[in-house]
Amino acid sequence: MSWTLYFPYAVAFWLFFIGCFGVAHSRNLIHTILSLTVVQSSTYILLLSIGFHAKAGAPIFSPANPPGSPSVDPIVQALTLTDIVVGATVTALLLTLTIQIHRRRGTIDPRDLRPMRG
Amino acid sequence: MSVLAPLCVAVPLIAAALLLPFSKVMPRWLSATIASLATLTVIGLSVTLALYTAFNGTAVHWMGGWAPHHGLAIGISFSVDPVGAGLAAFIALLVFAATMYTWQGFDTTGTMFHSLLMAFLAAMCGYALTGDIFNMFVWFELMTAAAIALTAHKIEEAESIEGAINLAVTNTIAGFMVLLGIALIYGRTDALNLAQLGQIVAQRPADALVLASFGLIVTGYFVKGAVAPFHFWLDDAHAVAPTPICVLFSGIMVQVALYGVARIYWTVFSPSLASHTHEIKALFVGVGVATALIGAIMAFAQRHLKRLLAFSTVSHSGMFVAALGLFNAAGAAAAAIFIVAHGLIKSALFICAGTYLNRFRSLDEEVLGGRGKECRVNSALFLIGGLALAGIPPFAISAAKMMYDAALKEHGLFAIAVVMGFVTAIDAGAVLRSGIHITWGIGKAQKTGFSPREEETECEEERWEHTPWPALWAPLLLIAIAIFVGTNGTFWNAISSAAHAFVNRDLYVAAVLNGVHRVIWVYSPHRVTLEDIGVNLAVTAAAVIAAFVGLFRDHIPQMLSPVFGPPLKSLRALHSGIFTDYVAYMVFGIAAYSAWLVLGAK
Repeated sequence: MSWTLYFPYAVAFWLFFIGCFGVAHSRNLIHTILSLTVVQSSTYILLLSIGFHAKAGAPIFSPANPPGSPSVDPIVQALTLTDIVVGATVTALLLTLTIQIHRRRGTIDPRDLRPMRG
Repeated sequence: MSVLAPLCVAVPLIAAALLLPFSKVMPRWLSATIASLATLTVIGLSVTLALYTAFNGTAVHWMGGWAPHHGLAIGISFSVDPVGAGLAAFIALLVFAATMYTWQGFDTTGTMFHSLLMAFLAAMCGYALTGDIFNMFVWFELMTAAAIALTAHKIEEAESIEGAINLAVTNTIAGFMVLLGIALIYGRTDALNLAQLGQIVAQRPADALVLASFGLIVTGYFVKGAVAPFHFWLDDAHAVAPTPICVLFSGIMVQVALYGVARIYWTVFSPSLASHTHEIKALFVGVGVATALIGAIMAFAQRHLKRLLAFSTVSHSGMFVAALGLFNAAGAAAAAIFIVAHGLIKSALFICAGTYLNRFRSLDEEVLGGRGKECRVNSALFLIGGLALAGIPPFAISAAKMMYDAALKEHGLFAIAVVMGFVTAIDAGAVLRSGIHITWGIGKAQKTGFSPREEETECEEERWEHTPWPALWAPLLLIAIAIFVGTNGTFWNAISSAAHAFVNRDLYVAAVLNGVHRVIWVYSPHRVTLEDIGVNLAVTAAAVIAAFVGLFRDHIPQMLSPVFGPPLKSLRALHSGIFTDYVAYMVFGIAAYSAWLVLGAK
């Protein structure tokens, strides 16, 4: 039983590093942006698993589910929501830049895009 | 009085919202004026806050009136101490200098630029003033988003976009690292308020989870703080960003991230990590020295002016980390005054470099060689900036270096002080070398380093026939303030006292959770001795010698080039300009930092 508690942490760890691996091996900016989304998913998993309680409902209280009855942590859900908004902003910005770089340089391979080296 | 704290964020945000709808129709001078007025208001507010908190203790504002209940924080607070408010004032001052530069001459394509600038200002002020760890992350991300958009502002130039992409990818991953760290510590404590977090974390010594959280937050902020091996994005982004943005990136954004590390360490982790202080100190001082050396060496090997200045910022970032890594009040005070001094001088230098770009359409040392005579005042300011960077009295860096060396020596780290002196000499030597070559055309320009692609015009901004007055007044103002800071002993004492309050966790917790506002005054007058001045003059002389060695390197024996040549070549190859490489280095950096923390903890 107890090992299942650690499972989400392992998933978050895996997603973070596989996402970074994806960025590091990327040959296409769209692929990079999606890899960044994978990295971000690790934060969702970690946040939500931290707020999780076994046999607890959603943090919405009603007569069937009165205040004080067990519920999962609503704060981490708010944090996740903020995180999603932040991620959407950066993704939108990056996609805009990708379109623009394609117009200027005619490629979206990161290895051909180097502002300056050395 | 604490209600002024959220106003520091609200005023620029409102200005941003006012400017945005009129971006197509509003004339540039009007939007620059509105932005300047908003910035001046923030300066006024934050200076008032700094003075108020210095005399009345940490001011706390609970958003929406959600004050703590029986010492339990339930709302989000802005917890303002003199260091936070002073930082906000300094941020606003540099933003003001940057807006001054945009009054005339700088092509801002509508008022969009000022709108983004105001959002950037609000984000940095919010980061400096907030008392909530998650709120800090949100401001951090807003800062990143605004920084990406501002770097890519010249959207028609491919290089700007490439620099912005490098910044975006690395800093986004950094943000996620910080968030993972916050999630872990929240899982332990169920708290997000810094004071509350600290109180719960302090209850027992650090275990693996606390260490992991600390490591993630520190590495995340170190990416933005340009600490090796996370600094690679900085030189790409700085070299292509518009001049006013370079001023803010180099002058304050990097340092604001380091402030975040110090704030979180002192409020949350300091008691529980007490048993690990030794390893963490070694880590901070070690990476500080490595960053400083890499930055200085790379700066000297550049021919692109802005990139040279960017590497110089990397080396200073290393110096700040080493000072913060002493983890005492003297170190924090030295870092604080050094950040102010460096911000003033580096901003002035960047504005001068921007003037060269607008006058001669190039930032290449070789192309500019000898043309500095056509704009004498600007060249003179650039050279003065170079000397001030080396620490010549009476400029602020001289005072900062004195406190810095004293803090290191007090800790028995005399060797580190010597290394940092060497770093300063190389660093300022690079600036002086290019300044001398640009002004008088003597010697040989640096041949290595990035040179602009020939097929492209490097600058699509309007070309200036004469330097407009704000472009000269802005660096003059900054250098004048640097002289004021460098000669004003009262100011040093105030910073030192503020740093003592900053590292005092009990004071902070009592003010935030229990509403007990206490003030401590620590007078640690630093006497300026002849020895200190001698050391600073010696470093300046070394910088001048380094500059001339760089200019006339063909006339000196080349026997050392086989020794230094190959390592320098590999160091330059590491700065490949490709963000995929940078992310690989980041993962390596995370592994190295965590290995050090884990092995140290054993």
